[in-house]
Amino acid sequence: MPEQKPWDDATGGGAISGAGAGGAMDLAMDEGTTLEKTPGGPEGTGPTGRPRSLWSDAWRDLRRNPVFIVSGLLILFLVVISVWPSLIATQDPLDCDLARAQEGSRPGHPFGFDGQGCDVYTRTVHGARTSVTVGVLSTLGVSLLGGVLGGLAGFFGGAWDAVLSRITDIFFGIPVVLGGLVFLSVVTSSTVWPVIGFIVLLGWPQIARIARGSVITAKQNDYVQAARALGASNSRMLLRHITPNAIAPVIVVATIALGTYISLEATLSYLGVGLKPPAVSWGIDISAASQYVRNAPHMLLWPAGALAVTVLAFIMLGDAVRDALDPKLR
Amino acid sequence: MLLEVRDLHVEFHTRDGVAKAVNGVDYSVAEGETLAVLGESGSGKSVTAQAIMGILDMPPGRISGGEILFQGHDLLKLGADARRRIRGQEMAMIFQDALSSLNPVLSVGDQLGEMFVVHRGMSRGDARAKAVELMDRVRIPAARERAGDFPHQFSGGMRQRIMIAMALALEPDLIIADEPTTALDVTVQAQVMELLAELRRELNMGLILITHDLGVVADVADRIAVMYAGRIVETSPVHDLYRAPAHPYTKGLLKSIPRLDQKGQELYAVKGLPPNLLHIPPGCAFHPRCPMAQAVCRTDVPPLHTVSEERRSACHFWKETLDAR
Amino acid sequence: MHAEGDPILEVRGLVKHYPLTRGVLFKKQIGAVKAVDGVDFELAAGETLGIVGESGCGKSTVAKLLVHLEPPTGGVIRYKGEDVTKLSGRALKAVRRNIQMVFQDPYTSLNPRMTVGDIVGEPYEIHPEVAPKGSRRQKVQDLLDVVGLNPEYINRYPHQFSGGQRQRIGIARGLALNPEIIVADEPVSALDVSVQAQVVNLLDRLQTEFDLSFLFIAHDLSVVRHISDRVGVMYLGRIVEIGTDEEIYDHPTHPYTQALLSAVPVPDPRAREHRERIILHGDVPSPANIPSGCRFRTRCWKAQERCEREVPLLAVPAVLRDSDSPARHDSACHFAEEKHVVPAEDLREAPGGTKTDE
Repeated sequence: MPEQKPWDDATGGGAISGAGAGGAMDLAMDEGTTLEKTPGGPEGTGPTGRPRSLWSDAWRDLRRNPVFIVSGLLILFLVVISVWPSLIATQDPLDCDLARAQEGSRPGHPFGFDGQGCDVYTRTVHGARTSVTVGVLSTLGVSLLGGVLGGLAGFFGGAWDAVLSRITDIFFGIPVVLGGLVFLSVVTSSTVWPVIGFIVLLGWPQIARIARGSVITAKQNDYVQAARALGASNSRMLLRHITPNAIAPVIVVATIALGTYISLEATLSYLGVGLKPPAVSWGIDISAASQYVRNAPHMLLWPAGALAVTVLAFIMLGDAVRDALDPKLR
Repeated sequence: MLLEVRDLHVEFHTRDGVAKAVNGVDYSVAEGETLAVLGESGSGKSVTAQAIMGILDMPPGRISGGEILFQGHDLLKLGADARRRIRGQEMAMIFQDALSSLNPVLSVGDQLGEMFVVHRGMSRGDARAKAVELMDRVRIPAARERAGDFPHQFSGGMRQRIMIAMALALEPDLIIADEPTTALDVTVQAQVMELLAELRRELNMGLILITHDLGVVADVADRIAVMYAGRIVETSPVHDLYRAPAHPYTKGLLKSIPRLDQKGQELYAVKGLPPNLLHIPPGCAFHPRCPMAQAVCRTDVPPLHTVSEERRSACHFWKETLDAR
Repeated sequence: MHAEGDPILEVRGLVKHYPLTRGVLFKKQIGAVKAVDGVDFELAAGETLGIVGESGCGKSTVAKLLVHLEPPTGGVIRYKGEDVTKLSGRALKAVRRNIQMVFQDPYTSLNPRMTVGDIVGEPYEIHPEVAPKGSRRQKVQDLLDVVGLNPEYINRYPHQFSGGQRQRIGIARGLALNPEIIVADEPVSALDVSVQAQVVNLLDRLQTEFDLSFLFIAHDLSVVRHISDRVGVMYLGRIVEIGTDEEIYDHPTHPYTQALLSAVPVPDPRAREHRERIILHGDVPSPANIPSGCRFRTRCWKAQERCEREVPLLAVPAVLRDSDSPARHDSACHFAEEKHVVPAEDLREAPGGTKTDE
């Protein structure tokens, strides 16, 4: 008999059941918290026996989720046309002719014309750029600012945490739309930057809270203690151990928040304090069209519909991401 | 026979395949008897108990065969209402973690009293009095004053007693205790097991004790059923099992535990790992870890051989196991 | 100066109090949780000292203090004669190389987002002087081999392993820097029974192979006896009895030790009739509210007036000072008295049947 190495454990045993299988089984078959949970051999996962990280497990789940596929494709489409709107809309959104105002759809102008005589289809397509830009940049800003501040507060605790928590409390108390009306009404620029700045300013506390809680949870794990016992510096612990394990909830919330930021921009533009003409935004169009709803509903329907679909797409994406990252240990 | 489980099969449908948690389990408990079900992770001991109680998560779990005869009636054929009535009144379960099994927002007195209000139709006042009586019986000091306290205000051992009280409230005929003392300190464990034994004797209840602790089993069990990979591998009265086990797994377990009264050299270690239920080894599930495995073990699933009138062993070589000392 | 025969680790008067405060902005201290309240012990080179006790006794806190995960409130920890509690920065980092820890929970002690190779290799990244860059991968593979894992799994992730294997990975990480002392905090409690023996054997073997000193902390008295040379029993933040394993298990003199030993179930059904059970009454007092005098007196059947007034010292009891018996070891009780609690050998036979007197 060949000498058996100590690791030739499960010779007849099976492959590893990864975190995926462990999910449902663990619930009913958890033979006590003090016993081994997911039994398995040291052999590979799947037929090729390759290492499987938690991120690749999550990606695998995501790929199979129809909600992700649908929302993902939609968002991809939106991103593409926001970068190259001329791919599907060849005309100039500012090319308006009052003579055609409120006219319905006709060949070459499928969505008709708005109150100023501008082509609704073209404006709707170009409006995507505004929404996507504001959404993405705001989310990036909020995530960075909130993530870093919240994460550091959670990690160091003590006075930092107390101060940050009080600050976030204050910010939570500010009503967003009202605040927008107040702050942005003094701004004269018509670009996206004031709106983005405002959203970041009011949005970071939400992410900070999530990040703080997530970091505190991650900090309690033994592997962080183990790193410290080895002599790891704070920066190593934060970068190597805490961040990869705390980032999942932040990603989920940020993705969902993206949708709400798009909606917020539209609201602010609708109220006249967000983007202003000549910028093209669905909010502006909706505002202008609301008075004509009875006579020429197409002017309102198309931008409003586009807005709703876009927001929905991002929220669906956020849901799918949450489901993929949610199962224990992810 | 109070409870008789016959050829029970339970599966779990997971993303990675079908896990066979319970593969043809037979065991029985007589009135007033204590049956210990011994096994490690993946043995299926908890799943069997949950199936008996009817609290299995039905997707993803599925009872794919067998009968559970309680006082002669097959529980699996009863409707949900009938099962619910049996649960609590005639059959009760004690879990490992009392903190998550007790409702944290209801006082202990309310939770205990609820049993009487719901099942016996008592008034709130009467039910509360009964609750205090129960708490006294499980020796919680100052029961009357503490009936209004919440679960988190009690220590682990006290909470376990409260769970025992809840299980015993309606004087069931059968109690299933799933690792009731694993999470407790050893001195508290002794207190709780003593209490359980005393109450069981008083009420002449049947007890199924599910555990992995060979010491606890030796203390309280009348009979033992050893489970591995969803099957029963050995059943025996308690003295016989410890004196002369008839299955290599049991033997391995007994030899590998360090003993309080001995300081040995290297511990005997059962090699290998508990099986993955998605890929149970063919033939005898224990063969990859068995020091006595032969070719037949890899192909043929061993049936439960009769070792003696009260002993069974699912091993092709039970005789050799028994004789080898 | 540290001489050859001196203990490698010496702990005197170790104290850790967690303050209880009230107030949001200006916190006022209203009390303290005295997790560790005056612990003394020594660890000789190559020895295994077991610390047993139940939940809340402070043994895990002692572990954390020894590897400097938390600073002590008081007392000294002398590693090779030098007090390490006062160190910081580079000096502390250097000492950390010599005292390493193995954690209890195999499911949370490994970073799930790092490969096994990264986890076991991290010590070399933090202490690059121990292993030059080129040799690290080889060293990691050697370590995996030493703990009984296939070195080819160096790129796998922790969730692809079972609990027992994860514990081995944790042990490999602890060995990476060639420490002299390993503090193992309940290393086998979370494992299946059939796997516990494997890991215990591994630790035993590693101790001999690498000349390690172990501080083995556990609540399972049987496992502790098996692996330890000496054993200390903790209760509410102090050691109440300490001695060799034979002295503690066969000749306990402190009532708490006796109660503890009598409560451990022995895997032998015949012990049912022969065993005397000492059942303690009441609960463990809160560490924020420790009884005066002897802290065990609220549950002790021997408690008398003296126990309330006077704190018993951890020393050889007066009545046993002149005797030669193994009961002559440190015990913190005014009325220490030997009592056989573990069932005697001749009443049973070893399980699995090694005797044939039936």
